[in-house]
Amino acid sequence: MADIGRVRIRLPSSIKPGDVIKVRVLVLHPMEIVERKDGKPVDKNYHFINRVVVTYLGREISQFETSQSISENPFFTFAVRATEPGPLKVTFFDTHGGKYEGAADIKFG
Amino acid sequence: MKRSVTRRALLAALGGLGMSGLAARLPGGPRPASAQGNLANLGPEEPVDATVKRLFAGRPIKDGSSAIKLDLPLIAENGAVVPVTVEVTSPQTPQSYVKAIYIISDKNRRPLNAKFILSPASGQAFVGTNLRLGESTDVRAVAELQDGTLLAAKREVKVTVGGCGG
Repeated sequence: MADIGRVRIRLPSSIKPGDVIKVRVLVLHPMEIVERKDGKPVDKNYHFINRVVVTYLGREISQFETSQSISENPFFTFAVRATEPGPLKVTFFDTHGGKYEGAADIKFG
Repeated sequence: MKRSVTRRALLAALGGLGMSGLAARLPGGPRPASAQGNLANLGPEEPVDATVKRLFAGRPIKDGSSAIKLDLPLIAENGAVVPVTVEVTSPQTPQSYVKAIYIISDKNRRPLNAKFILSPASGQAFVGTNLRLGESTDVRAVAELQDGTLLAAKREVKVTVGGCGG
């Protein structure tokens, strides 16, 4: 998994000021699931994303707490009110201390 | 303050550090505190009623089937990737907004799939993701409004091949 943590963000093609836009974001990540041995879960540090933070214009607008019951290569959609042109940033945190960041610029036109 | 660090105390402290460093590297030894993925830090395996009780502490949950649009396939062929979107009718202004959306699948071992914390800057209470479902189950979306009101909607999904493994 050399590509682990690669983030892709998609914005609508044309955005007008004040629009509520839907943003789609995908991150490559294994989202390791609990292993079982003889019916008992194995205790180890499972590797999955447990927190996602969305910031727009430097302010945090939402935060997702995720678990292993989110699919491999997690995909999220969410809404943002595009008030000003500026950066939209999505940061993923995983249980092994990994931090993966993706950014897109909201532009009007 | 008088400096009271003796050479003996310093060596003892350093020795302790070295030992703890070694132990962390050995399998089966004490784990570093950052091991967030350990079983103890995952959501507990529990029936869905226990999850609801743990999250909402017995607060009344109103039927929100008119306000919440929960979109899921009727039949999911692959339980490992089940697309879901949740949309809650809300002006999403500082006076009235959806604070959080929980997605809970009743028959998963750890029923809470995800919690989405939103703010008025979201503009719309809308989230979507892909779930892993172990078997055919009810999926519920619970929306928490800024005044603490809880609304819930439920949908059944038939899962052909479970996606949770063991």
